[in-house]
Amino acid sequence: MSQSIKLTINNQAIGPIDVGDGTMMIEFLHEYLNLTGTKFGCGAGVCHACTVIVDDEQGMSEVVRTCINGVERFNGKRIRTVEGHAKQNAQGEITALSPVQQTFLEHFSFQCGWCTSGFVNESTALIERLERKPIAKDNVEQVIEDALGEHVCRCTGYVKYYAAMKDLILKTEGLTLS
Amino acid sequence: MDVSNASRRTFIKQCVIGGVAVYSAPLLWEMSRANASIISPELAAQWQTQVSGQSKPKFRNDGIAKVTGQKVYGRDYRAMDMAGWPKQQGYAFILRAVDASHVYQGFSLDHLPASAKPYKVITAADLARDKVKLPEFYGDNMLLPEGQTADYLGHAVAILLFDSFPAFKQTKSLLQFDNTLLRFGEKTAFVSDTKDPYASWRLIRVEGENGAREDTYSPLHDGLFFPSVKHHKPVWSGDANAQGSVSERGLYYAGEIEKQIASAKADQQWQVLEREYRTQIIDPMMMEPEAFNGWFDASSQTFHTVITSQSPQDFQEMAVHMLSSGPLADKVKNLVVHSPYIGGGFGAKDHSIFPYYGVLATIYANGPVRLANDRFEQFQSGLKRHPFIMKSRLAVDKATLKIQALTSQMTVDGGGRVNFSPSVTSVGATAMQSIYYTPRNDIIATSYASRNPDAGSMRGYGTLQSMTAMEGMIHEMAAELNVDPFKLRAANVMESGQRNTQGAIPNGTLRYREMLDMAELDPVWQNRADNKARYEAKNPGMRYGVGFGIATKDYGTGAAAPSAAVRLSKDGKIILEIGFIEMGTGTQTSQAVVVSESLGSFAHEVKLAEIDIWDAMQLVQTDNPYIISQQRQDEMTANPRWTPVKAMASSASMSAYYQSHVTRIAADIIYRHGLWPAAVSIWNELYFNTPMGKTNLNHSRDGRWTDGKLTAMGFPPLSIDILAKRAHDLGLVVGVMGHAFNRWAWAEADFEIFGTKERIALDALALQYGEGDKYHGSADRKARMNSNGYHLIDRQAMSYPKAELNNAMVTYYAPCATLVEVAVNEGNGEVSLLSSHTWLEAGKVIVNELVEGQIQGGLAMGIGHALHEELPPFEAGAGNGTWNINRYKVPLARHVGVWSQRHTILPQLSETDPSRGIAEVVMIPVVSALVEAVYQATAVRFYELPMTAKKIKEAMA
Repeated sequence: MSQSIKLTINNQAIGPIDVGDGTMMIEFLHEYLNLTGTKFGCGAGVCHACTVIVDDEQGMSEVVRTCINGVERFNGKRIRTVEGHAKQNAQGEITALSPVQQTFLEHFSFQCGWCTSGFVNESTALIERLERKPIAKDNVEQVIEDALGEHVCRCTGYVKYYAAMKDLILKTEGLTLS
Repeated sequence: MDVSNASRRTFIKQCVIGGVAVYSAPLLWEMSRANASIISPELAAQWQTQVSGQSKPKFRNDGIAKVTGQKVYGRDYRAMDMAGWPKQQGYAFILRAVDASHVYQGFSLDHLPASAKPYKVITAADLARDKVKLPEFYGDNMLLPEGQTADYLGHAVAILLFDSFPAFKQTKSLLQFDNTLLRFGEKTAFVSDTKDPYASWRLIRVEGENGAREDTYSPLHDGLFFPSVKHHKPVWSGDANAQGSVSERGLYYAGEIEKQIASAKADQQWQVLEREYRTQIIDPMMMEPEAFNGWFDASSQTFHTVITSQSPQDFQEMAVHMLSSGPLADKVKNLVVHSPYIGGGFGAKDHSIFPYYGVLATIYANGPVRLANDRFEQFQSGLKRHPFIMKSRLAVDKATLKIQALTSQMTVDGGGRVNFSPSVTSVGATAMQSIYYTPRNDIIATSYASRNPDAGSMRGYGTLQSMTAMEGMIHEMAAELNVDPFKLRAANVMESGQRNTQGAIPNGTLRYREMLDMAELDPVWQNRADNKARYEAKNPGMRYGVGFGIATKDYGTGAAAPSAAVRLSKDGKIILEIGFIEMGTGTQTSQAVVVSESLGSFAHEVKLAEIDIWDAMQLVQTDNPYIISQQRQDEMTANPRWTPVKAMASSASMSAYYQSHVTRIAADIIYRHGLWPAAVSIWNELYFNTPMGKTNLNHSRDGRWTDGKLTAMGFPPLSIDILAKRAHDLGLVVGVMGHAFNRWAWAEADFEIFGTKERIALDALALQYGEGDKYHGSADRKARMNSNGYHLIDRQAMSYPKAELNNAMVTYYAPCATLVEVAVNEGNGEVSLLSSHTWLEAGKVIVNELVEGQIQGGLAMGIGHALHEELPPFEAGAGNGTWNINRYKVPLARHVGVWSQRHTILPQLSETDPSRGIAEVVMIPVVSALVEAVYQATAVRFYELPMTAKKIKEAMA
């Protein structure tokens, strides 16, 4: 048994590809597309390392864990993974990072980096939500906790991820209410 | 792929072992075809910035690759990424026994649908027929033979090979949790019950009378002795004789300690506290589960591997030995080991057995094969932290508050295979005293086999367990004596020059008292009574408590052997090559920074996990460094190419001290014999009235780097590219390779450089010179660059640390203290960490942000150990294959007080302080601090970890 999958990942049309039944999205990314930036941590939807962004037609988005969701859930959807955030030049070289990637980098937020793809995607989605609906400055810490609170990091103890996001939100115009 | 034609950049020939040439490619991702996108040079260069004239790292130099999702980890790679491999990726799945009390009788796969059948099933019968053996370090029974009982839960039974992902996926889905698949017969004893202890250690020490410098008895003073074994238990029997052998004297003094404790307790002179502490099995839960990819290319007789290991050097050697017998014996001429970054390790990937199952799968595979644990499999088969049971006694003089004696009997569960249990057990024993001076001690520690998964060198290495128990006794002793715990600590804190429980003097300044003084003044401690009253009044149902803990973590193995090479290109690029790998702690970044102390700029390129290049030093290793006799060492030292140890495994606590030692020396020699004379020559030539006068630039120590340029005594600053060109033109030193050995002291020797003899803390040194010949007849020197492009300098007056220093067991320590305030929910027992303050003495800090990350990460891991992470032993535990982090609770941000953490890194005594290994120590004191804080909040004292909410709630009921 197999299913035909067609979707868009990082603005690239993918498929149709025949995929075996029961294939999880992360397995599709890794074993069928060789896109390994999305990380496998627990396979049980707990650590959130495998989080990607799914965009809809209305310009809204949601974050989804790819280790517990079958590839069929993403059929026909637009997906963003960690490989899709930075800017590249014509030669394919990365020339500039996204604001979230840059703030994590400059705050030394990660060490081994295995959890980073999940944090990048969850945080990117959060920034985009705040662009649409800014929050009071007093709520910044709580909003970060709510967004990132289930992500597991084993090396750096979360502090530098959270500090990086707080710094980015407070210094980016339009994310907080003046 | 034709290995013989591979470029040096692609594969690096490491060495030849048993006729097999070993190659490595540590930075695999750079050459990966999958990396269509690479990082622009302009972006990559931004990691170095200038602050107040000094170079500072703006971010980790591996950071861009990680934050953009590049393929940088071993688990990322598939066959299609590997140059020269067939594109079709195969997959392997291991069947494991979850019964260790019945005879295993085989299995059938007949029920699998045709589309899901493996193309090959590897069993113990294949191994026996083909004479395939595990590397000796891991023991035997790589796969469980039919007719035997599993050595431990999770014992591998068979490897199933598939040529496509859908087939692999389908079968794994059907079989992974099918406990009826394997057939079992009659009930038997546990195999572990038939094994002798893995190791048993005993540390007996009695200080010299009246404070004499020399011990009356101690391991360093008298030597170690070991027990006989009866009925699989250690027996410390024999005559007790003060004038007898080392064991007889030891037993005599152990008896004396017993008598003194009994007598002083009876006389009411000493307060004696006797307690039992228990710690749990911990899974390292590094984020990247172990993975392996392999392919044997019969046409080129090359065995290719991609591993996720903290110890790739050892893997290379052991893999060759494994391949030397079996179906591929004499068929493998080359072994290629790709060792990219690892996604966390914490010791779980240090000498793990996992990659050898990958090797086994590859031996029998018909093409590239990938073996990758999912998290259930990782829990089931991965290395664990040893659980300890510690029956300990602490005796304190009631009048002076001085500790008089410490005794402990530690029982350590080593799991199914021995792995590093012996050394973890010994280190746990040596750590028992923590920061406290004990004039008498008798500490026995024994590790046993069990049917739990293997335990190994996980973070803490036994010290977390024993120091937490010691700190618990200090807390309780202070309560029993009705004294402030800081007062009790102050009476017993170990001072510089005092001896540890092995009779050795720890290196350097012990700054425990300074740390205690700082902590005692913290407002959270000072105001704890008022805060408790206020908090509990304001938060009904919550109980407030403050706890403090302190620890000092050893680092080092007693046989450390780092190597480094620093080379300077003619255009001023600094290339650093080291043996260590990057585990996430920032070794690649910090080592790049270390060279800037001498060279003014960060290394432009850092090559990790190098081994072959060290062949230039032509070193030979002949003996086990831990048991070598002094006579043998003296004999071997006469050979200028001999070293006790050629190479060392990487671990997080080792790079800062050990690797930095050699990196610093290599960079310093380039500065003093390359850049400095180059600068002087330019200043003399262009900026002074030479030869009518002298510049007086006679001392390289007068040079200063500012904004990446070298200046001295007001002479114009010169950039490194100008200096490098001049150094090359003059034939000065432009490349330095060094090897060092440390057995709780660095080996040192005389080396002659440009006609001047220098005493340097290395046991091998090799140099490269620029192509010019204007400096001291360098043409002749260049002719000597005949050892892989280096001039190997013959060492003189070689001095190695004495062999008896092995009995010191540990003398390098890094201390840390943590103060926590918690609130305990009366309703559900949950502990909220309100705030924490950590004090750390890290010596010379190389990259502050990396040290902070270690502090914050260590704290989180300690919180997990104290409050959350729980694995039951045996049949209900990890070996049954059903554990994952849905049940094994690791700390989340909300558990660590993410907005309320404070830390103080003690300022260095001087810029000459060494950088200390600190990766592990921070997780230790927070554990005892939390135990005490929960006690202060609830009046319930825990002796067994973790203190889960459920346990706390039950205890409060």
